[in-house]
Parts: sequence; C-alpha cells; structure tokens
Amino acid sequence: MIPVTVLTGFLGSGKTTLLSRLLRHPDFARTAVIINEFGEVGLDHELVETSEESFVELQTGCLCCSIRGDLARTLADILARRERGEVGAFERVVIETSGLADPAPILHALMTDAGLAERLALAGVVTTVDAVNGAATLERQPESVKQVAVADRLVLTKTDLVEGGAAALASRLAAINPAAAVVSASFGDIDPDLLFADAGDPVRAAARLEAQARAAAHPHHHHSAAHDADIACFAVVRAAPIPAVVLTLLLEALAEHAGGDLLRLKGLVNVAESPDRPAVIHGVQHVFHPPTWAERWPSADRRTRLVFITRGVPQAWVEALLAAIEAEVGEVAET
Amino acid sequence: MSTTALDDAVAVLLARSLEAWRVSGTVERAGDGALAVTVAGRELRIARAPADLPFRWVVEEAGRTRGATSVTGVLRHVRAAVDPLWRPVRLRIAALPLPLAPP
Repeated sequence: MIPVTVLTGFLGSGKTTLLSRLLRHPDFARTAVIINEFGEVGLDHELVETSEESFVELQTGCLCCSIRGDLARTLADILARRERGEVGAFERVVIETSGLADPAPILHALMTDAGLAERLALAGVVTTVDAVNGAATLERQPESVKQVAVADRLVLTKTDLVEGGAAALASRLAAINPAAAVVSASFGDIDPDLLFADAGDPVRAAARLEAQARAAAHPHHHHSAAHDADIACFAVVRAAPIPAVVLTLLLEALAEHAGGDLLRLKGLVNVAESPDRPAVIHGVQHVFHPPTWAERWPSADRRTRLVFITRGVPQAWVEALLAAIEAEVGEVAET
Repeated sequence: MSTTALDDAVAVLLARSLEAWRVSGTVERAGDGALAVTVAGRELRIARAPADLPFRWVVEEAGRTRGATSVTGVLRHVRAAVDPLWRPVRLRIAALPLPLAPP
C-alpha cells in the first residue's frame, strides 16, 4: 500500500514552499506529487523542484468540485506508469490542494474508489497555516476553518515573520482542532518525520489516537471568531466495551443526522466481541473506512475513545445518542 | 408508570436532539409512560409498540402511526416530522479498511 497525504491550507499559507523543502529532503525521495491549482494557468508546479526519483503532476480546476473524477484518473494513471516503469517507484503520494479547496470531498474520493483503495491508503491530512495572516484568514474564510478542522497535523508557517511568536494563533488553532499536532516551519524547513512518522505503524498510530483523545477531552475554551464558534472538538469515552451493533447503529445515525457537519471522527474502540485489540475507526463526514484492527492496545488504557471534530453538532447530543443505543441493545440482550 | 433505563435515555435523546437541530419544542412524559414531543403546535407521541407488532416503537401523530425497530428509527421519524429541511444522509463505507491507521 502506498500512503497518500493530503496537503492543504489557505492561499498563500506556504504549502508549496513546504513541499519544495520536503522534496529536497533525502528521507522524502521517491514521492509522487499531485498539485491542484485553481485556474487554467498554474504556476505552483513550476516552483517545486524534485529529485530525479520524485515527480510532479499538475491538475487545474478545483479538486473538491468538478474534477474529483480527474483526481481518481490521475492517481490511476501514475500507478499504471509506475507499474510500466515509466516513472520512478514512488513510495508515497502527496496531493497538494488548491488554497480554496474543501478537503473533505478529496478524502472521500480516496476512500471510496475501490480501484484506488486497493493500492493507495490515506495517511493523513496536513494543513499549513500562515502565522502572519492565519488569524485574519480564519476570521474571513470558512474554507480555512474547515481545512484546520480536518487536519491531523497543522504546520505553522512564516513563524520567523511574527514578533513574539504565534502563541495566540496556536491557541486559536487548538480551539478549532485540539486533536491535531501543531508544528512550526520557517521557510518550509521541517523534519519529514514530524509530518509522516506514523504511516504504516498501526500501534504507533493508535498511540497517537490516544493522545488526540486526551487532547480532545480537555479542549481549549477559546472561541474568538463568530464563524468558527460552531466548530468543536470533543472526545466521547466509554469504559465498558461496546457491542459491535452499537457502533454500527451509532455511525449510521451520526451520518444520517450530522452528515456534512461531522468533519472528522477518529477513534479507538473496545469492541465487546474482540476486547484484546482495539478497532481503529476513521470517518470524514458520512464516509467511513471499515474498522481496522490494531495488533494490540497501545497502553493499559482500554477504554473506547472517540474523537469528534464537528460543526454545530453538540457533544451532549452525541452522548445521548450513544447512551440510548446502548440502552436499547442492552435491553434486547436481556430479553 | 415506572420507566426503564431505555425509556429515560430516549427522553434525554429527544430533548438533546431538538436542541441539536435548533428546533424549539418540548419533550414530556405522559401518564401512560409515552413521550410527547411538541413542536410548533404539533404533537408526536412515542411509545413502546404492542407485543403483537413487529416493531419496538410506534410514533403517532394526528392519528397516523408509524413503526420503528430501534431508537434510531424513532429519531428518524421525529426529525422528519419536526425539521422539514432535513435530508437524511446515508452512511457510506469506504472501499477497503484503512490499512494504515490514521496518524
């Protein structure tokens, strides 16, 4: 399986600079890059220099709207060229979205195309945030709030230009998405391990999910912008194992009622029928991967921990929904 | 009439749901144990289904009764009645399990 990372971030937030630096790093060799630019004449792909082992493909148009099918075709094409030896045997794919893109439909394309899913696996979402203009962008551009909300990792860029650091912005980001790790990159300089270290290691990834659940359980209570006040990150925790049917009913109801407002759901689940290893679940809006089973629990903590990033979906409703489903399944089991 | 843990949980769920959907209304328990959801003058009555019906719940409004096999079915009926702009979204499962757990 080849991991795919989606690199997003608002216009001018430093995606291309970050990518250029990453592609020059020896540990980031053998990378296929797909750059989406909005407009017929693209420039970003001209600004990205790669080693001989990596290469860049360009797509124009908006990935999240009309050309989602084109993304699938481009990915299928580079896989076919890789098999024919026409391009290097790349070991990872990075999709750089246009600054205006909503990342969720792109994630859906990666998750639901059966042909691609046999070869490619979504490894995560990295979102760049400009330390200089990021706060103002979050105030004015709802797309940028969503880009932050769905991220697994946030990269603060241009931190060298901000006197006194970017503590206020970091706090704001933590309010929108406390589950995401935040790292800084000046001039795009960053250790690739900080962005991609967990790919391919389910136990490390499960451990990271644990940390995210802890962060989500103690969110920052800082909402400075009216239009991101509806974005919330919270964790739902259950000490008792959850029957598989409860999990199924919960996910169905969440998709049915929350749909597009369920920006991200990740979790470690202690499934009653298989308590010795956690099920790792991962969904974007109404689209979920089938659960993956980690080999073992990452720590002694075997509680179910579900990390939600939502828009206008109250934690109290999710808790009440889960409690009612649990009560009904429990009642049926007793009869 | 005494209520079970499930009855209480459904009452809480319905009240929280109205809040989540930003619908003004009330959820009250009737003398027979049924739940009454009142929104803009409309009343829905939610009760356990009689044993001879192949449902667990019945949702009744203005003499029209619908069956539901689970609390999530009840929730679907209630939302359809009180939130006319709502369009349910069907859960979609990705093509394959996530081989690389999310970072």
